[in-house]
Amino acid sequence: MTGKGALIDQMGVALVAVLGVAAFFVFPEDLGFMTRIAATALYVLSLDLILGYGGIPSMGQAALFGAGAYAAGIASIRLVQDPIVLLGIGGVVGGLVALVTGTLILRARGLTLLMLTIAVGEIVREVVNKARDYTGGSDGLGGVSAAPVFGTFRFDMYGRTGYLFALTVLVIGILVARRIVRSPFGLACRGVKEDPLRVVALGGRPRRYLIVMYGISGVFAGVAGAVTAVTSGIVGLDSVSFSWSAEALVMLVLGGAGRLCGAIIGTVGFMTIHHILSAADPFRWMLVIGAMLVAIVLFVPGGIVAVLDPAIARFRKRAEAKR
Amino acid sequence: MIGGVLEIRHLSRKFGGLDACSDITLYIEEGERLALIGPNGAGKTTFVNMVTGVLPPSGGAIHLDGRDITRLAAPARVKRGLVRSFQIARLFRGMTAREHLELAILEREGKTYRVFSSVKRMAGVEDEARTYLDEMGLGAVAERPVGMLAYGQQRLLEIALALALKPRFLILDEPAAGVPHGESQRILDALDRLPPSLAVLMVEHDMDLVSRFARRVVVLSQGKLLCDGTPGEIMADPRVREVYLGVRADAG
Repeated sequence: MTGKGALIDQMGVALVAVLGVAAFFVFPEDLGFMTRIAATALYVLSLDLILGYGGIPSMGQAALFGAGAYAAGIASIRLVQDPIVLLGIGGVVGGLVALVTGTLILRARGLTLLMLTIAVGEIVREVVNKARDYTGGSDGLGGVSAAPVFGTFRFDMYGRTGYLFALTVLVIGILVARRIVRSPFGLACRGVKEDPLRVVALGGRPRRYLIVMYGISGVFAGVAGAVTAVTSGIVGLDSVSFSWSAEALVMLVLGGAGRLCGAIIGTVGFMTIHHILSAADPFRWMLVIGAMLVAIVLFVPGGIVAVLDPAIARFRKRAEAKR
Repeated sequence: MIGGVLEIRHLSRKFGGLDACSDITLYIEEGERLALIGPNGAGKTTFVNMVTGVLPPSGGAIHLDGRDITRLAAPARVKRGLVRSFQIARLFRGMTAREHLELAILEREGKTYRVFSSVKRMAGVEDEARTYLDEMGLGAVAERPVGMLAYGQQRLLEIALALALKPRFLILDEPAAGVPHGESQRILDALDRLPPSLAVLMVEHDMDLVSRFARRVVVLSQGKLLCDGTPGEIMADPRVREVYLGVRADAG
């Protein structure tokens, strides 16, 4: 990263941590909602890894999220309760589903690939729906419970532990994602996004890069699903639904794809507006989101981050001038 | 086998009933500066695509350093040292010149699956990238996205990228295409600094450039090798004139 965008990326992680902790004290009544934001931000981040850094369009990301959520949920009922282990299970299952489906569908590109991601999403949803004995089908999977974190911090009824747990996982997730996109592998994926044939001419194998990136994205989505399952105690069919996939895409485009902080800003923005407006007007709130999306796509294709960048650069310049 | 870096035997490609390339046999030795010329539609692109592994041939064989690579996939050929540059600067527009070279170096070293290491902290990669950039006079624009570079600079970056892969055999596809005439000297200067042992095949239209760079020229016409000689011999050859003039008359 060079130039004006660098600052927001450097400070992004610290900012998320500080604002996240501040929100814990400022909005003690909304911890449940904020927990969902943190888990969702990780989910949208997983989409950013493949769309923003690999150029893979996906409308089936919920399949990976849901796979992780159900895996963690089922494991907590039948196997283990340790929350860290449950996150691990969610991540592994999400990653495996991504690797298997990715190997099959990443032969295609563009619109065909988009359709295939939708197909994968629908197949996973139907599998979950039919496997009632394990998943509870359309009733959802209730009674998911986790042991105290590190054997000490119990998941309390106010959701304090849940929120701090989700926030910590999110911050770690951003750090890991940042590491990945700045690695040699991340560089190769950016190359594939821009011109796969040029990568071939450098001796790289574009499809293999994309499959690996898809797998990594699956791990992130799976962990996000597991966080949701562990902190909310239930996993519903909506976690593998098409609309959940589509919402991830909306949040990412709003915030700005191809920038890690874009995923975070987009999620916080979308969910906050959703939260406030849907309480004020349950029937027409989607209209505002729709208008915002149209405006962003038409006027600032880089998303909200692209609007913030120049403002931050100006602020920084002024600060330097004062010194 | 007489020490040829690249040996092409009876290479052919049919598209339906059309012979895009037929029975091309060509040996290229270490350190050669060979140019391939021919009118539009002569089969130059088909030939290059078969050699680089993008297009499977209908018949014939390709050997690189004595090993049969006819069935090898394109990336594997690059790893063995068969590298090409592109006619239209084909770069990653959003990436900086430095990042381009880093990617090429990492590919060459087989380090692109390192998911958790930082490019910045990998010993030597950044320094080596800088060496190649400086060599091409691109040091000052290393941190700019290549979409913002002048076209001539993009062409130089193409050459730097090819060199960073440490090729045994290099195909330069119209290295000066689109570059204003005044700047083409800089491209030629860059080409003069290619390692002497490297075998180079230049695909080119501009006879001026060809005669200054190549010591041997082959002419392709209607998918067949027409003749083979020094630039002087080729330019004096009546068959070559006929091919160029004849096609121009047909196309008009």
